[in-house]
Formats: sequence, C-alpha cells, structure tokens
Amino acid sequence: MFSFLKHYYPVFVQGTAQTILISIIGILIGIILGLFFVTLRRSKVKLCQYIARVYIAIVRGTPSMIQVMLIYYGLSKVLDIPQIQFLGSGLDRMIPGSIALGINSGAYTAEIFRSGLISIPRGQTEAGLSLGLSDHTTLFSIVMPQAVRNILPALGNEFITLIKESSVLFYIGVQEVTAQALGVGGTLYNFIPPLLVAAIIYFVLTFSMSQVISLLERRLGTAYLKVNQEE
Amino acid sequence: MAGNIIEVTNLEKRFGQNLVLKNITFNVQRSEKVVIIGPSGGGKSTLLRCLNRLEDDYQGIVKFNDQNIMLADAGKIRSIRQKIGMVFQQFNLFPNKTALENITFAPVKLKLLSQQRAIDRAHRLLSQVGLDNKANAYPQSLSGGQQQRVAIARSLAMNPSVLLFDEPTSALDPEMVGDVLAVMTDLADKGMTMIIVTHEMSFAQKVADKILFMDQGIIADQGDPHYIFHETKNPRTRAFLSKVMI
Repeated sequence: MFSFLKHYYPVFVQGTAQTILISIIGILIGIILGLFFVTLRRSKVKLCQYIARVYIAIVRGTPSMIQVMLIYYGLSKVLDIPQIQFLGSGLDRMIPGSIALGINSGAYTAEIFRSGLISIPRGQTEAGLSLGLSDHTTLFSIVMPQAVRNILPALGNEFITLIKESSVLFYIGVQEVTAQALGVGGTLYNFIPPLLVAAIIYFVLTFSMSQVISLLERRLGTAYLKVNQEE
Repeated sequence: MAGNIIEVTNLEKRFGQNLVLKNITFNVQRSEKVVIIGPSGGGKSTLLRCLNRLEDDYQGIVKFNDQNIMLADAGKIRSIRQKIGMVFQQFNLFPNKTALENITFAPVKLKLLSQQRAIDRAHRLLSQVGLDNKANAYPQSLSGGQQQRVAIARSLAMNPSVLLFDEPTSALDPEMVGDVLAVMTDLADKGMTMIIVTHEMSFAQKVADKILFMDQGIIADQGDPHYIFHETKNPRTRAFLSKVMI
C-alpha cells in the first residue's frame, strides 16, 4: 500500500520541512503579536483596549481559510515579493501565508497571555512594588514567570492547533505536507495512502510538540508545585 | 516637626462615588509605634496603602521624610518604597522562590547588595525571625505563621525606616499568631518605626505609642493605649472595644 513512498518520499520530506518552517514562523509571529495585543488590551488607554478587542474578535470570528486568502491576495497587491522557490513553494506565497498564520495565532495567544496574567494574584504585584521594584521588573521578574508556567498547557494547545491549521496554506499554493499528499494522490489516482502518510506526519509533529511542552512544564514546575500536589 | 517620618494632612480617598477616607491628618515620629484599630470597612487598610502609594489618586498630602509622595516621579517613588516596608495580610510571598530567594530578590535586583551579602543578610534575618532552618523551603511548604515571618524578613532586607503592617495576623490560625506577634514586638523593642493595622487588642495595648481608632473613613478617636482602653468617652470607640475585647 505504501510502496509509492519509494518514489515519492522526497516530496513528503520537502512538504514536512515546509510545514515545520511555516509553523515556526507562524508561532513566532503569533507570540510577538500576542505580547503586543495583550499589552494593548491591558493598557489604561481605552482606544488601545478597543483596538485589541476588535482584532481578537475579528480573528476569532472568521474562518482561517478566508483570513489566509484575504491576506495573500491583499499583500500581493501591495508588496512585490520575488517568486523565489524555496522547499517547493514560492516565497510570494510562503511569506504572506506564514504572516497570516501568525496573525491568526496572535489573537488566541494574546488571550492565553491575558488569562495567565489574570491568574496571578494582585498581591504579587503589590509585594514587588512595595519593595521598591519598578512596574517593569515586577511584571517581568515576578508575575510573568508564574504566569508562563500557568499558561504552558494552553499555549501548547495553540501551537498544536497552528501546526494542523497550517494545512490551510494549501489554498494559496504553499506546497506544505497536505498539498504534497494531495498532489501525490492525484498522480496515483488514489488519495487514501498519501493522506494517511500526511496524517501520520502531522501526528508525529504535534506529538513531539506536546512532549516538548510537558518537558518545559516539568522544568518550570520546580519544587513548589510538587509540594502542592502532595498535599 | 523635625522628628516626623510620615506626615498625613487632610487625606481624602474615593473609590468611585464612595468616600472611604475623609480628612485624615496624623503624624508618625521616628521610632513611634502607631496602631490603627476599628471596624472592618472603616478605611484602615486603604489608609495604610496610601502611605506607600499602592493607592493612587487621593486628595491631600502624604509626606515621607518631608517629600510629598504624590508628587514623586516613578524613580523617586521606588526609592521611597524601598524605605517603607509593607507586610500584607496574605503574606504575598513569591511562590516560585525559596524563603531565602524571597528575601534576597529585591536587594540584589536593585543592586543594593551583592548576591553573597544579600544571602548573608537573609540568613541573619531568617535567624532573627526564628526560621533559618527553612531557608531553602518554598512558601507552600511553610505554615501561615512561618510565611508571614519570612515576609517580615523580606521587608527588613531592604533596611526600611518604617514598616507598615496590614492585618498581619488576620489570615493565620490562632496558634500561629503568637510567633508573628513575638517577632513584631521584638522589632518594636529594637526601635523600628511601625504602623500596624490589627485586631489584636492586647498586642496594641502592649506595643502602641499611639492608637488611632478609625470608623467610617475618619479618625474617630486617638490617644495612647491607656486613654483608648480606659479613659475615652467616645461612644464609638467604647462600642467597638466592648465588641472585640472579650
């Protein structure tokens, strides 16, 4: 059933590399946008809060496929990205595609960050401030490390979702693993085996991601959580 | 007056429409122990929190060492807060740091002490509060009384010139209260300037130089412990004390 792999495995390798690459860029852009919009959302300026709320509402309320297409067609009108081929796809498709993934992920990441910050009692901030630490030090050295530990499971979930969602870039012609599997299926007149291969590849990627996250959780959990669990 | 470390003049604070502090005026001298008592919701904690500007946007003047803290810029308020230690009802220790790290964190971060000197001082402070054997314990593994003593050591590490206590024993099991009060009495004996919001009346009687009775946002009555507990004719003070003194 999988004998076609003998000829077509380079295509899958290329597609997998493409998927990993666009996912990593998407995750990074998502984290940066998430940090940016959570700052806006928590700002004292009403307009900033409003901008963040609108962004989050639009991204969450519309299909990612339409977002990707709008961003791709929109960007190709204003930006002239050279059609250099990389891992089987043109940069003119990959770049808008990964930006779209990042913009989509940023909204969810911002909300995850916000939930993390809310989860830390106000007393932690007050303790930091009362010792004469700056707002910035209190946020980044006291509140954030605790918040990050609390949000790791949710953040892991978001990264896994993004890896799977990256298949929507197929619609704008990025040759990621789903696109490659469909291509192979077309030549074979049989879609099931290559799609199964793609599914296995996604599973390996997301499973590895979840392992990395639980490793991080254990690292950051440190002694003080264990005490809690024993009680 | 030269000896005043804190001067509060006509302080007013609102939460929305709600006026929670009205026309508060009092001074605290160096080495003085001021105890604030009164019914819940009377504004005691809010008053304390105005003193290091954890509460913002108030009317009136709060001065620390002759500096108006409302006018202090960000850098100035940080250096003032370093000199005004605060101990909270819920301890507010950093749960991801050991007792020792809780104490060393701010002095090292603010570059007031080297890592090694901060550790030495932390051990000394932990011995002072009777907990040097708990240096490497995380807050969750400590009892409430132990956590509060670590929190006191944490504020002492900044070498403050005044300590604010916001109901430091109210969240503790009764058998823990004594240890914390013993540490506070010890500090008082050493001449620390302290402003203490508490419901521990016998402690107030023993330690206070001055007691402020706060009710409905005003200082309704004030005086030395003998006056407050035995002489005052103020009906609100007497009604309150008759309820809390058993």
